[in-house]
Amino acid sequence: MEEDYKNGSSYDEYYDNVYAAANDDDDDVDVDVDVDEEEYVDGLQEPEVETNRSLFSARPTCKVIRKKYLLAAQKEDLQRVMDLLSLKEHHARTLLIYYRWDVEKVFNVFADRGKEWLYSAAGLSVRSSKDLNSSHSSNEVTCQICFEDVSGNESTIMDCGHCFCNSCWTEHFIVKINEGQSRRITCMAHKCYSICDEEVIRRLVSVKHPDVVEKFDRFLLESYIEDNKRVKWCPSIPHCGNAIRVECDEYCEVECACGVQFCFSCSSEAHSPCSCLMWKLWTKKCQDESETVNWVTVNTKFCPKCYKPVEKNGGCNLVCCICGQPFCWLCGGATGKSHTGNTIQGHTCGQYKEGEVEDAECAKKQLFRYTHYYNQFKGHTDSLKLEAKLKDKLQEKIVILEAKSQQLKDFSWVTNGFNRLFRSRSILSYSYPFAYYVFGDDLFKNGMTQKERQIKQNLFEDQQQQLQANIEKLSMVLEEPFADWEEKDVLQTRMKIITLSGVTDNLCKKLYECIDNDLLAPLQEATHNIAPYRSMGVEKASELPQSLTRSKIGGQ
Amino acid sequence: MVDLARVQKELQECNRDVEVSGIRVSPKADSLTNLVGTIPGPLGTPYEGGTFKIDITLPDGYPFEPPKMRFATKVWHPNISSQSGAICLDILKDQWSPALTLKTALLSVQALLSAPEPDDPQDAVVAQQYIREQNTFVNTARYWTEAFAKTSSLGVEEKVQKLVEMGFPEDIVRSTLEAVGGDENLALEKLCSA
Repeated sequence: MEEDYKNGSSYDEYYDNVYAAANDDDDDVDVDVDVDEEEYVDGLQEPEVETNRSLFSARPTCKVIRKKYLLAAQKEDLQRVMDLLSLKEHHARTLLIYYRWDVEKVFNVFADRGKEWLYSAAGLSVRSSKDLNSSHSSNEVTCQICFEDVSGNESTIMDCGHCFCNSCWTEHFIVKINEGQSRRITCMAHKCYSICDEEVIRRLVSVKHPDVVEKFDRFLLESYIEDNKRVKWCPSIPHCGNAIRVECDEYCEVECACGVQFCFSCSSEAHSPCSCLMWKLWTKKCQDESETVNWVTVNTKFCPKCYKPVEKNGGCNLVCCICGQPFCWLCGGATGKSHTGNTIQGHTCGQYKEGEVEDAECAKKQLFRYTHYYNQFKGHTDSLKLEAKLKDKLQEKIVILEAKSQQLKDFSWVTNGFNRLFRSRSILSYSYPFAYYVFGDDLFKNGMTQKERQIKQNLFEDQQQQLQANIEKLSMVLEEPFADWEEKDVLQTRMKIITLSGVTDNLCKKLYECIDNDLLAPLQEATHNIAPYRSMGVEKASELPQSLTRSKIGGQ
Repeated sequence: MVDLARVQKELQECNRDVEVSGIRVSPKADSLTNLVGTIPGPLGTPYEGGTFKIDITLPDGYPFEPPKMRFATKVWHPNISSQSGAICLDILKDQWSPALTLKTALLSVQALLSAPEPDDPQDAVVAQQYIREQNTFVNTARYWTEAFAKTSSLGVEEKVQKLVEMGFPEDIVRSTLEAVGGDENLALEKLCSA
């Protein structure tokens, strides 16, 4: 097992070296993690170097755990705890299940509070096997569950010291396993919260019900994913069977080996720079309102009393809401009930009075505001879908260019440009729901003063607009039929694409800086964690090192 | 699947010291999975003097699963439904342990009568009243105990005496009581309408 550890760390070093090498060789490149895009563009992207360097100094932070390696991945964590506390595997598991597979936490609690506290909180009683056997041999005991007298070897003492007959233990285990409580099966004694030894459980249950043991083992294994904040199932449908483990920050976005990109924190689609909460609220709001919003805006007016949208179903401009409030269709103001041919009681429509319509305006504003952000979001999401089709077209262009070109040999600038467009477009579209919440009243009503909000909104929107303008330009250039052009024009397009990509990348970075430093930091909102900007796009989870997994499995 | 041997032993054990604990458990019919338990209302509480019946159903997994218990006698208590008699008690749910018995469970129910937990209510109306109007709560609980947990508690002689004190002749009282099967209220009604 020692050996395996060395393997593990050398693997990481290996990766560090590979990335370091990549940086050293090509100082000024748009490196892409995609395996098939490892050819680099030369020159022209000076401003990006720094970003790349800082990104790649960190080693890969997430790994794919394929189903068959789940056991090995779990063993890795178990082994660390077993080594430190010289515990048996099942004791280590009990600890780790309680501390949600957070090895650091176990170590910290151990350092701060000591062994006793660490164990008792998790319901772990560690007694040596000698203790257990000496106190109970062949003497008859009365099982306090079934009240039968049984001989010593038909009964079992658990680590906590409670002794019951084997058949009662077995029944208890089966009931608990079938209730789905495999991970924390406690002793049968009243108010004893000690966790039963999984080896004993396996031994006793397997006598009569090997299938239940199987279930038990599966639950224990899956605990590594389900009770672990650093590991999540990939949310792909149909499920690819993989899980992802992140090493440090759980607020990140990852790409599983199956190709699905998702937010690690909430398991929904990647949505940065929206926080998980914002994204959840937004998707719910869109579901509730998207289909009706357009119709409602066009065809209705808000009742001045209850603010429900009212549709006009007759010719007269005196409209009556379902709540009983009559109002003027022309101005939306409240009126009396009766009217003559040319006047409506209590109402003079021509006169403009600000106060009266304020409330109605407010509700209307809210809807307009939402519609604005929704339309922007939807517009960019739609563009994203259309641009996804662009990928194949660009591939065709590359083939044509490769065939006829003389000077130019490397066409990775096309794919790189496309990838930049794709990533930035998605950031841009998610920046709209973000803005909807940050500058709205739903989440941050008292977060900043009206004045502050206005200033920050201007700042943010300025960044957003610059980004948007560049994205549109980039999109336009990429769509041009440059495959049919003269080589010198192609060279010019290449320059344009490379420059625009660089600028766009930089603008994305600035947008995130604005979000982090100017918008979220002053709000001190711990609930809004945002996956950081990654110039190279969502991180692809690397495979668990196979040498490690193999030797671990063999080692058992 | 119920461990009938254990249930039988529990019943014997429980009925052995019924004088001390006041707690009884007996089978409802022939089956040992449907039982009736009775607990005396704890002294010094509005339930004092009442005898409360509790329906007990044993699930297949008993004693590895908790017994299902429900008050058959109506009772006014924050943790017991005034409608259905459902009991909100941890040991009857996730805190159940196979080492507990019907008797210990019933003792816990009895303890619950002495110490209501309005923060974890089964009956929100009762719990509100318990928190806001202690006096009204005590009176209602006592009235419910009188009305539902004591129906046959008065002996015949006491009933006769009570009705005689109201001014009815003793011989007529006796014959009327007999005619209505000992029910004091029905007898009174009959006496008044005669």
